[in-house]
Amino acid sequence: MSTAWVILRNASCLLFSILLLNSCATSEKTAPKTYTVEISQMKFIPAELNVQKGDTVIFINHDMVVHDVTEDPGKAWTSSPLPVGKSWSLVVSGSSDYFCSIHQVMKGKIIVQ
Amino acid sequence: MKAFTPCATIIIVCSAIFSMQVFGQKAQKLSDPEIASVAVVANQIDIDYATIAKKKSTNADVVKFAETMARDHQSVIDQAVALVTKLGVTPKDNAVSKSLQSGAVKTKKMLNSKSGEDFNKAYIDNEVAYHKAVIAAVETVLIPNAGNKELKDLLLSVLPILKTHLGHAEMVQKMYSSK
Repeated sequence: MSTAWVILRNASCLLFSILLLNSCATSEKTAPKTYTVEISQMKFIPAELNVQKGDTVIFINHDMVVHDVTEDPGKAWTSSPLPVGKSWSLVVSGSSDYFCSIHQVMKGKIIVQ
Repeated sequence: MKAFTPCATIIIVCSAIFSMQVFGQKAQKLSDPEIASVAVVANQIDIDYATIAKKKSTNADVVKFAETMARDHQSVIDQAVALVTKLGVTPKDNAVSKSLQSGAVKTKKMLNSKSGEDFNKAYIDNEVAYHKAVIAAVETVLIPNAGNKELKDLLLSVLPILKTHLGHAEMVQKMYSSK
């Protein structure tokens, strides 16, 4: 086997490996993730959440009273009343402030990075 | 007749709750059935105030706040009733719960005597004062006196609700006073 052929074969293998690694890294970066925000003790926990566009946020009401999750200030989206023990999912399309429109001092934030 | 002020609400609730402490060591300790009674009565009183507000007010913020008070305090009563049922405890009337009830009679009379903007202001001012007084009572009297752990835990989990209500009432009060 000629030296040129060996060099060419090794270079091809190296190029393939680099492309494969790059492809894995890219898909890991863009795969949507799911986050949970617990509503407990009259708070959104965590109150501030960093996500990527397309990720899903699940809000779960662990309190003893009804809450909702509503975009602030325009009410662009809302969960509607969320009874005790129930959950609601939001697919994130952009950064938002939100609040509970039933208990208006309860506030949270979703930040798209 | 002199108006019934929020300050009077604080005095009525505090004197009811703290009366047993005024005499220091001679004061009787509230038992768990008595604490359960005070908890149910205190929540029911705010539901009664909310019922008056829903009937008399046309202000959207005030009505929405009243609806929240009625719903949340009923949830707390439901939890308390479920717990005492589970524990086999019967809420027991006592000097504190009776004093709260007699204070509420006066406040309801005052609220019913008002209308329009005067009513809205009186209702929200009373809600701020009432929640402040009840929070103080839960923190300094009911929780320390509770013997059963589940009852204590219930009272601890009610505190954030009361504090959120107070924040909400103060927000409405501020909006209302700036009009």
